[in-house]
Amino acid sequence: MTMAALDANTPVMEHEDTRDSRRLGLWLTFPAQILVLFIAVFPILMQVYISLTDWSPLDGIGWWQAHELWNSFANYSDLMADDRFWSALWRTVLVMAICVPCEFLLGLGLAILFVDDFPGRRFLYSVLLIPMMVVPAVAGYMFFMLFQSGGPVNDILSFFYGAPVTIAWLSDPDLAFFAVIVSDIWQWTPLMFLILLAGMVGVPEDQLRAATLLGASWATRFRTIVLPRMKTIIIIALAIRVIENFKVFDNFYIMTGGGPGVATETISIYIYKVTQQELIWGYVAAVALVILIALSVVSALAIKRMSREVSQ
Amino acid sequence: MASIAFRNVTKRFGDTVAVNDVSFEIADNEFFCLFGPPLSGKTTILKLILGLERPDEGEVLIDGKPVNHVSPARRNVAMVFQNLALFPHMTSEENIRFPLVERRISPDRIAPRVADVVAKLHIGHILHKSPAQLSGGERQRVAIARALVRDPVAYLMDDPISALDARLREETRVELKRIQHEMSRTLVYVTHDQEEAMSVADRIAVLENGVIRQIGAPSDIYDNPRSAYVAGMLGAPAMNLITLDPGRLSALDGALPLHAMNVPDGATRIGVRPEDLAVTSAGEGSSSPVEVYEVEPLGGVTVVTLQAGETSLRAMVRGQPKIEPSSRVALAVAEGQACFFDSEGQAVTA
Amino acid sequence: MTSIHLENLGKTFGSFTALKNMNLEIADGEFVALLGPSGCGKSTTMNMISGMIEPSEGEIRFGDRDMRGVPMSRRGVGFVFQNYAIFTHMTVYENLAYGLRATGVAKAERERRVNDMAEFLHLTPLLKRPAAGLSVNILQRLAIGRSAIMEPAIFLLDEPLSNVDAAFRAVMRTELKHLQREFRQTMVYVTHDQLEAMTMADRIAVMDHGKLLQVGTPIDVYNNPSNVFVAGFLGSPGMNLIKGRSVMADGVMRVDLGEAGLSAPLGDALSRSAREGKAVVYGFRPEHCELTDGDGLRLPVNFVERIGARTILHMGRDGHSIKGVFDNRVPVRQGDIVTLAIDPSNIRLFDADTGNAIAEAH
Repeated sequence: MTMAALDANTPVMEHEDTRDSRRLGLWLTFPAQILVLFIAVFPILMQVYISLTDWSPLDGIGWWQAHELWNSFANYSDLMADDRFWSALWRTVLVMAICVPCEFLLGLGLAILFVDDFPGRRFLYSVLLIPMMVVPAVAGYMFFMLFQSGGPVNDILSFFYGAPVTIAWLSDPDLAFFAVIVSDIWQWTPLMFLILLAGMVGVPEDQLRAATLLGASWATRFRTIVLPRMKTIIIIALAIRVIENFKVFDNFYIMTGGGPGVATETISIYIYKVTQQELIWGYVAAVALVILIALSVVSALAIKRMSREVSQ
Repeated sequence: MASIAFRNVTKRFGDTVAVNDVSFEIADNEFFCLFGPPLSGKTTILKLILGLERPDEGEVLIDGKPVNHVSPARRNVAMVFQNLALFPHMTSEENIRFPLVERRISPDRIAPRVADVVAKLHIGHILHKSPAQLSGGERQRVAIARALVRDPVAYLMDDPISALDARLREETRVELKRIQHEMSRTLVYVTHDQEEAMSVADRIAVLENGVIRQIGAPSDIYDNPRSAYVAGMLGAPAMNLITLDPGRLSALDGALPLHAMNVPDGATRIGVRPEDLAVTSAGEGSSSPVEVYEVEPLGGVTVVTLQAGETSLRAMVRGQPKIEPSSRVALAVAEGQACFFDSEGQAVTA
Repeated sequence: MTSIHLENLGKTFGSFTALKNMNLEIADGEFVALLGPSGCGKSTTMNMISGMIEPSEGEIRFGDRDMRGVPMSRRGVGFVFQNYAIFTHMTVYENLAYGLRATGVAKAERERRVNDMAEFLHLTPLLKRPAAGLSVNILQRLAIGRSAIMEPAIFLLDEPLSNVDAAFRAVMRTELKHLQREFRQTMVYVTHDQLEAMTMADRIAVMDHGKLLQVGTPIDVYNNPSNVFVAGFLGSPGMNLIKGRSVMADGVMRVDLGEAGLSAPLGDALSRSAREGKAVVYGFRPEHCELTDGDGLRLPVNFVERIGARTILHMGRDGHSIKGVFDNRVPVRQGDIVTLAIDPSNIRLFDADTGNAIAEAH
């Protein structure tokens, strides 16, 4: 072993490797690939299997024996007719359609404010990121307290209104829906802000200067340079939040338990209830699979879009 | 110490032929320069010598022994990279010692080797500094010292000083030449800078698309280019290539008379170096078709860009002559200061 | 078209002084190069003219308009960045049209001007191509076109040729100068390459360590540098500078150059201004020396560098590095001892303490 080998391994590799070394690399990573495949694929196959049966842990037989309770596609046809499932799904999409744009616009606004330096910027920046670090269950509990009829929200409203206000936030279906959405926006706007700020800082300074010297106003620069340059990161931020938001559970469950009635029952809360309270796991597996497929389609579209952007 | 030889070496990457049937021999202790535009195959030839690539056809020999199947580590050829790749957390001395320490050579044998290299490279005063504290030229020398301390049979450099600014490049290339002379090792040097190639090399190989167009001493190639391509590659400003007037002993529609010249048969173009193109004022009311386009004073010489119809020419005049843009001038070239090329671009002689 | 006046201009960043007391008048339609090594303050000056940074002191006027507080978008300057700052998410056409669009020029007019500019810079076949992935040479032309299309009164260029290859640089030098000669815009060009400054500029302003050292035409600055820095910075290679002491010998003033021996007698004018026994720097251009069989500086040749048309002799001993430029047929080999004759009219003397040129007395 001499220095040449060490030199040789450093920066010369500009061109393609030879075909031999590529094949060797494939063989070397083969065991790891098998392992990854197993970890990722096995639970899904298990889900598919169970979703085609009536199996429940109460039946007293192991999941691998579930074929004794084979029901073909009964779970899936039940699902199609399950109003509660469809309304939970619709509600989840509605939460997403309200929360994600609000978080995006708030995050973008904050990013614009924070992209240039001002006194106290670092401090405010840290403060702004706090909600993101709070455990969602704790955040749920906080907002549960805030929205009590004798809680701080009503106190503040009373102060401005001049008379005692006793709105039953979490008992009214519409108001409860509003309250859980507020809690989600409070918690996740900082993440959007963080990602968008990172993207905005990455816009080349010289291009902005060049645009300014060519006579472009702030708004023009923002529209023609900043936004197009942030396109990829915006798509990433939105994709993350859409996928995350679909899975929203903790704070909703703690604030309202999905209620009153099913007024705030999202798909996760619905699955949780069916799993833990009704224990029909074959059915749950079917629900979970349908959601997985739906989410995969959304992410695949987003990733395709992203890679197209990046390749440009 | 080693000679290096290529015998009909071809290297392909997919459909592209990076090196095409190349043969040459580099003598022991020679400063050999591979010169050509980007993607002409220079770096691939270096990699074939290093052993990072294997030839598809032909043979690479070091010291007369075929090394096609010898691994890079056993060839004992050192490489100085373009980006230098010094370890930033070590001092210059630690950087230089590194290859020896890595090979578990005993400390009492390391010291004299390091001292020897340090003395030859004149870097005693910067041994305790870290790379960040060094200037570009100093870093260069430390990187060379690190490559040399192993005592390789030959060393290779891939455009090692292109990152330095013009003034420093001028000084460093002279320094490189001195170092090579003192170390007395074979040096294969890649560059795309013609001035650098002519300054340092004992011999230059001019490459185009993976083929060696000409090999020879710098002055030999400069004075006797074998093709229009090679003529254009060496010299700045480049050689003027002017189409001859058909059936007449002149070029540029008579503006460049060649009566005194022995124009060889088959020649379609004449090549004149800017310094050999004599420019004189054509006088008031002249009808000369040659107009001064731009005048660039460099101090010691002045470059005059001329326009004659569609043809753009450059002349290099000594000193600081008074030549006005847009004025008309007469051109002349003396016997023996021109080359001739045929329609294929090959040099023809009378 | 506008003249630029810089008066007592200065800029400090914290405790670091980037520029001090800069006074420079740039006439309408003039091409001025700010030349100096990195950190000399040339880019700072340029950025203050463009309005990217505000001066700490002093004044900038365009014509008789004070530029204090005028934002960069309203100064009407064209700026070509070193990295070109091309909008890589747009096509070539969109890049060229950007400024016209941002300032609300009508579509028909816009199209006409973009097409004219594209034609002029040979970019027409590329108009629909995305700007990302174009070669540096094309990006460079695009950057110039994008600014030029706004027809700015003042054009600022920040090392625009430092990233392009040598052959193209030579072509662009000629082209840029020719363009400026035709359009007669006021042009300020920042570079660290003395060759670019020499070949293109009407006047050169040489800077070092935040100070303006000398302003003049290229030939004037080259022939009569005001101090040793300017003398060494201009030229390729730069002026030879040898430390010595002025001595009176046989009734004429000479310079004692130590090992190299006594210089030839100084010319009358220099003799009168150089006092005897003073530490001086003796300077001459490498191309202003000749080999002689008679009296002169005797120097060993350490290295013969043959570069095409010219040959550079590297001469001197112990740290002295004296260079001479000769034609390619000079019959000298490494190890020879040569004698150099330098015409007294080509000798420049500098004060060894201050580095300033010793003027010829009349």
